[in-house]
This record gives sequence, structure tokens and C-alpha cells, in this order.
Amino acid sequence: MARRARVLLVEDTPTQAEIARAYLSDQGHELRVAETGAEGLRMARDWAPDAILIDVELPDFDGFELMRRLTAAEVTAIMIVITAQGSVNTAVTAMREGAIDFIVKPYAKARLTVTLANALEQRRLSVELAEARAIITRDRFFGFIGGSPAMQAVYRTIQDVAASRANVFITGESGTGKELAAEAIHRASPRAKMPFVPLNCGAIPATLIESEVFGHKRGAFTGATEDRPGAARSADGGTLFLDEIGETPPDMQVKLLRFVQTGTVVPVGSSKGERVDVRVVSATNRDPLAEVEAGRFREDLYYRLYVVPIHLPPLRERGEDVLMIARHFLGAYGREERRKFRGFAPDAEAVLLGSAWPGNVRQLQNVIRNLVVRHDGDLATAAMLPADLLRAARPIAVPVAPLAPAATSFLSAVALPAVAPLMEIPAALAELPANDPLASIAAALAALVSARTLPAPPEPSQPRPERRGPIIPLWQMEKEHILAALEECGQDVPRAAALLEINPSTIYRKLQGWRV
Amino acid sequence: MTSALDLETIGGLARDLAPADFVRIVRTFETDLSRLVMLMVEQATAGNLEEYRRSAHALAGAAGAIGANRLAADARVAMDPKDTTPPRDLLLRMGAEARQVLTELAEWAANPGRT
Repeated sequence: MARRARVLLVEDTPTQAEIARAYLSDQGHELRVAETGAEGLRMARDWAPDAILIDVELPDFDGFELMRRLTAAEVTAIMIVITAQGSVNTAVTAMREGAIDFIVKPYAKARLTVTLANALEQRRLSVELAEARAIITRDRFFGFIGGSPAMQAVYRTIQDVAASRANVFITGESGTGKELAAEAIHRASPRAKMPFVPLNCGAIPATLIESEVFGHKRGAFTGATEDRPGAARSADGGTLFLDEIGETPPDMQVKLLRFVQTGTVVPVGSSKGERVDVRVVSATNRDPLAEVEAGRFREDLYYRLYVVPIHLPPLRERGEDVLMIARHFLGAYGREERRKFRGFAPDAEAVLLGSAWPGNVRQLQNVIRNLVVRHDGDLATAAMLPADLLRAARPIAVPVAPLAPAATSFLSAVALPAVAPLMEIPAALAELPANDPLASIAAALAALVSARTLPAPPEPSQPRPERRGPIIPLWQMEKEHILAALEECGQDVPRAAALLEINPSTIYRKLQGWRV
Repeated sequence: MTSALDLETIGGLARDLAPADFVRIVRTFETDLSRLVMLMVEQATAGNLEEYRRSAHALAGAAGAIGANRLAADARVAMDPKDTTPPRDLLLRMGAEARQVLTELAEWAANPGRT
């Protein structure tokens, strides 16, 4: 027998409705009857049936009009037309309006039940297909943005492990969204309504970490004026996220191992253990196995925590996700800062796609925030992006808008493709002889190209750290690099700090030290 | 006189349905038939031909569903705006046919197992 389905019959003649009801009574479906088209439309919206059996002749408007209105109302139920007219025209009209099948009156029980069963099966398969497609092509997943194959694999793993109690170990570079992944696991799990407690082990002094995780009793140490539950007990029934687990001191690793093995918490200052039901999700931006081999992380703890690994790919490996995320931030910050941006110009998209993003999504977020705060316009262009990003970006081919005929023939003359990496065009122009008769066109084209391409490389006079050549002391290289960043940012320390991904106070401290 | 009911249709209903369901459908049809014929008489008397045809359409559907094909055919004539048969003549003919349908249905309801 088919699964229990909701079936709506739109039929104004009680005899007909009663026959259909009797025929379907042993099929296990839930049947409701509407006597008019308007009532059928309302019930279809409110009740969300799986199938609608529609009589063509209805008191208010005909069944075909009802089908049009159901389609307009985005009712997804399958529609089967029931008609006394078995003509080809009726059948064609029924199919054109979206009916999956039609039944001619009077009909036998088998005709109705088989037609309905086939239609419901077809609907089931369509729904499953749509759900499968949505899983494969989804570009958003609990807070994550991106539809790249690498992220699809992450989404699938999160979905697969969510229902389990198994410990999860997340790896990935800084800024790839490890906490977001941990939270997604929690929110997709049966523990979603219980607490999600994140704890950054790397940010807690070694002397306090035990108390932060397991809590303490009043008087356990100086300053412990009252009992504190600690993260593990706060997460009872939910998920404890231990970020930067690799930073945990060795003695704390022993205590964590005992906690993971026994599910028992012993607060500082207490000798009595308390059982808690906690799922542990850990994360690190290091290679956990290398940390084990180097003796910095306990092997037994590693195997306790590293049950289901999830690796978050760096942004540079996520293809067009960069643009999707950048557009999201541009929209969000644009609204916040009341800017007009509608999107990115092709040259800006090329830079975003060509950047290595060592700071991953966090760096991209900072870059877009900086852009929105400092600029406004219809499109965000490459010129609005930080200079160091432009320098570091790999040239990416972007379509160039059609050029004037003279310019196009010039391009053919110098054997440049019509679609060329923008940064390569000025270089090719520079190779033309100075007395070339096309010099004036070349100059005009150079201006045209430079207006739509990436900014030129910095002037030689600009201080820039030397990447090759003799080895220079590290402090000198750091000094030159920081001064170069300040120069690029017009001596704007916070902005330079953002580009360098360091704290502004670090720059102030260094400047003081160099007496600059 | 030939049967007022199409044996294939009424026999199919009797075969496909539990006796209680079959009897319930017969009762529903009887209610439908008397309500719709009465409406048609009222509407014809009042000269409301649009509603008269709508009731005839409902009667055609109900009659067809239980295999009362001659009654359904009369109702379809009444539905047709081009037909010139006076409603009174049609209603008298349909009344006579309806009586025979009800008589035969009563026999079917008394013994749904016959086919």
C-alpha cells in the first residue's frame, strides 16, 4: 500500500464525491472534499495536499481555471482531472494546465486508485530529486556561504555526523570557519535546543583553563568566591566546542582525556566527579598528527577526539565561493553603511578570485568592510581594493568590454587576444617600438585599458620588501614591510594593521621601538 | 422496458465496494436526485434557465456515476442552451425515468451482491 497521502477532491456533486471517497477508503489516504473552485483553492493553500482530484465542471469557475490559480499560488500538489468529457481537447487542455493525468467518468475503482498511486509515486520521486539536487547544489548551509565541491563535501559530512554523538575534530586554516562548522554540527543535531558552549583554549591562561573547562568550587583558589560550573557542565545535554585544542597545556590534556573517556567532570577544589552528557567538537589550525608526532599533543587524546575529522578548505581552494561571500559582505555592509553598491565590477572580481587569501574568510570580510567604509558607487571596482591585494593577486582573465573598431584591429596587429589577462595588455604595449605609427592608438588604448584594469605596479621609489637577493635580517624585513604597508595606507595605522592582519598596537609598539 | 441502469457501471460499483458503502452511495444519489429535480422544477418555473442548466449538469454527473445513462442523457439535453424542448416536457420525462432508476436502485441496494 502507498504511504498515507493527503488527497483533496474538488467535486460539487455529492454522489460523485461519495463514490470517490468509498473507492479511496481502503487506500489509507486522508481525503477532504471541496464543493467549489474557490473552496478548493483555499483548502489547497491551507492544507497542502499531495494530490488534487479536480472535476472540470464546478459551480463557480471551471477546473482548468482552478488549475491555473493553483499553479499561480505555487501549490505543488499533483493534479488529476476528472471529467465526463473524454475528448482529446479536454485531455490536451488538462495536460497543458499541469494535470499529471485525467480520468473519464464514470470510472472504476481500479482506474482511480492506480492513477492516484502512479501520480503520488511520481510526486515522491520528484520531491526526492528536488531534495537531492538541493543538497548537491546548495550554496548556503547554516551560516556557511558557498557552493564549491569542497564545501559540499563539508556540508555532507556535517549533516551525516550531526545526529551521532561521536566526537568531531575540525581542522583548517585560521578564518576558514571552524567555529561556524562546530555550531552547524550542533544546530543540525538533536542537541540543537541545548547549549552550544565554545571555548578558545588558546586564549585562556594555562593556570585558568582547568577551571574554565571543569568549573571550580568556592575557595578552590584565590579569587574563587563562588562555585562556577565551567564550560563542560554548562554544555550538559549540548555541545562543547574546544577551539585551538592544540594550545592546551600537557597537564590539562590528561584531564581532558579523563573527561572524554568517562564523561565525568571534577571541578577544581572538589574530589567528587559529576557526570555530564556532552558532545565534544575540537578544532585546530595545526596539523594534529604532526603535533602528536612532535610530542606536543597526547596521542591517546588525539584518538579520543579525532573520531570524525572535518577539514575546512582554505578560501583560495573554494573557487567562485570567494565572489559569493564577497557579494554577501558587500550587501550586508552596504546596507549598514548606507552605500549604493549593487555588486562588483569585473576587474574587482578578477582580483578577488586571484588573491591567495591567507587570512581566508576573515581577511575577505575585512577587505570588503574596508572597501564599503571608504568608498561608494554603483559597482565596487578593483581600484577600491587594498593595494597589497592588487599586487598579490594572480592575473585572472576577465571579459573586456568591446573596444572601438580601431582599437580591435590594433589588438589583432599586436597579436593580443580580444579577451586577455588585463595585466598583460599594458606589458605588451610597452614592447612596441617608440616610433611605431600606431603609437597614438597605443597610447589611447593604454589609457582605456588602465582605466578598466588593475592599478599599475607601485613606483620603484616606493619602499617594498625585497623578495629575492641577499638575505637581510628578519627585523629589517619586518620593518620595511610594515613601513610599506603604512605608506600604502597613507600612514593609517588601523588599516595597515588590518592588511597585515596584526593588531594596531603591534605597529605602534614597533614604531616606538624603531623611533620612527 | 430495458433497464434504467447500465449494468457495467452499477455492477462495477457493487463489485468494487463494500455493501455498506454501496448502500450509502445509493442513498446519496437518491438525495441528490430528489434535490436536483426539485431545483430544476423551481428554476424552470421561475424562468431561471441558467441555474436550471447548472442543476441539470449536476444531475447528469450524478446519474452518469451510478449508470443511469438515459436519465443522464435527458439531463444533458436540459443542459444544452440550443435545445428547444420545453423544460416541462423534459422534466416529466426525467421524472418518469427517475422513478424507474430509483426502483432498480432499491433492488440493487437490497442485494448488492448480485452482478
